[in-house]
Amino acid sequence: MSVGSLLIYAKPGRSTTLALSWALFALGIAAYFYVAHARHLENPEERVTPSLAQMAAGMLNAALQPAEDEEAPDVDGTIAQRFLGSMLWKDTLATGRRFVYAMLLLIPAVLLGLHMGLFPYVGAVFLRSFLFFDKIVALSLLPVLFIAFGIDELSKIILIVIGVGPTIVLDTFNLTRGVPGEQVVKAFTLGAGDFAVAYRVVLKQILPRVLNSIRLNLKAVMLFLFAGEMIASTDGLAYRIALLRRHMGMDVIIPYVLWVALLLFLVDLGMRHANRLLHPWFHET
Amino acid sequence: MSAAMIHFDNVGMTYGSPARPVLESIALEIRQGEFVCVLGQTGCGKSTLLRLLLGAERPTSGRVLIDGREHRHPDRSRGYVPQRYSLFPDKTVLDNITFGPEVSEFSLLARWTPNFYRRRRELRAVAFEYLRRTGLREADAWKYPDQLSGGMQQRVAIAQALMTEPRILLMDEAFSALDPGTRREMQEMIHGLWQSLGTTVLFVTHNTHEALRMGSRIVVLAKETPDHGSRVVRDLEMTETSRDDPAELVRRLEEASEGRLLKPSPARFGLKSRAAAV
Repeated sequence: MSVGSLLIYAKPGRSTTLALSWALFALGIAAYFYVAHARHLENPEERVTPSLAQMAAGMLNAALQPAEDEEAPDVDGTIAQRFLGSMLWKDTLATGRRFVYAMLLLIPAVLLGLHMGLFPYVGAVFLRSFLFFDKIVALSLLPVLFIAFGIDELSKIILIVIGVGPTIVLDTFNLTRGVPGEQVVKAFTLGAGDFAVAYRVVLKQILPRVLNSIRLNLKAVMLFLFAGEMIASTDGLAYRIALLRRHMGMDVIIPYVLWVALLLFLVDLGMRHANRLLHPWFHET
Repeated sequence: MSAAMIHFDNVGMTYGSPARPVLESIALEIRQGEFVCVLGQTGCGKSTLLRLLLGAERPTSGRVLIDGREHRHPDRSRGYVPQRYSLFPDKTVLDNITFGPEVSEFSLLARWTPNFYRRRRELRAVAFEYLRRTGLREADAWKYPDQLSGGMQQRVAIAQALMTEPRILLMDEAFSALDPGTRREMQEMIHGLWQSLGTTVLFVTHNTHEALRMGSRIVVLAKETPDHGSRVVRDLEMTETSRDDPAELVRRLEEASEGRLLKPSPARFGLKSRAAAV
């Protein structure tokens, strides 16, 4: 028996949508603090589920105090000076630097994908290899990278490039192939050469989608970065989380995790806005 | 009579494996300044014929010559207006129109020189003139293609193609996605431009009325049997008297394009037959 549509055409209003979208957050936070409260009543020294006050104190400490293994700062310095010498800032800076290097190294990946999609000979040379590399679990190469490149910065950045690079190459390749052939022929009839077609026609058209693809891979970039930092590093956000795990420092780990999520959200937001600003003609479907 | 500018020299084209013939023994000569409408049913190889002339594809047999020379790649001697995707979506109307001269004269790095900005001002002045000729307003110049209707997009595409002053303009079902009113307007516009510029036009269409209205010559492609490629089954030069009985002419052309090949009797319709059809 057909009952028609009960769900597909049942659209919530604006305020209902807003309330529903925050419902899971509210539920999760409430559940956490309920459990934390109950555990703290049982054991006031409880560390696995820190209270809000414990987390605030832990985060304040991380944001204004240097790491235990570093020199004590000038206690008379301004809050800004203390923040710039703090554990949180130094860890953020170390992770941010690796993140920026990795993102810069994705530019050649985009250009390679573009050339592979546009120039059949380049595609013939690289496509099969990248389809193969894309299937390799990058983390399984971590020991090889540490042996080959040592445990310093290079191996961590290469891990990110190996992990995300092939995906970006193949995404760009597919986007390039998706540009209608008419556009390429038209550009030639207007006097463009091979590279003018590549950079002034095709790249400009696919760039907003490439940026979206990179945005969708931000989490993968951070995943590989964190894996590298947790295993072999002396600074960085993931290094700190791994270190604090040994001391059950949940009062700092939870704010650190939220801090990483916030940073990633801001990077994503920035890229989304930049994309909209740079490509006003582009409308996401 | 002037010598042929474009020469399809016994051209054949097959696709795929096993080979599927699309065009077969195409022998066609087009003089400078002609407005040739290539008529035929969907899938008969009209667009393939145009792509061969563009140099976007190579014939399986025979040669396509322009001024006695084979052109193996698309270049700016032939303007192109396809049915869809004719404009670059990332560029404004004005940038679409000036793209041709800009890309020809300035490399990516040369765009940052003062000379570029001076030249761009000149090019934009010419582009505005083409905008006006194609019936667009100045205010449309700053819009992106997706902010324009289909008809306006095709007007821009024509202005874009004409901006490089091609000797040959190739149009592939350029108006087929437009509503009848806009289509009629566009037909009149392109016909007027052809008369004033004298560009050689090859216009691919499956619409017999459109071909009759616009072409100075109509070439009909059709397959004799499904296993063969299409051939030129009618090649008619239009004269004033040939348009006297359009209904009958439409019937005859449609019969030809459907492959129901009747013995040609061009004199009956006031037509000059250019090739021994069938």
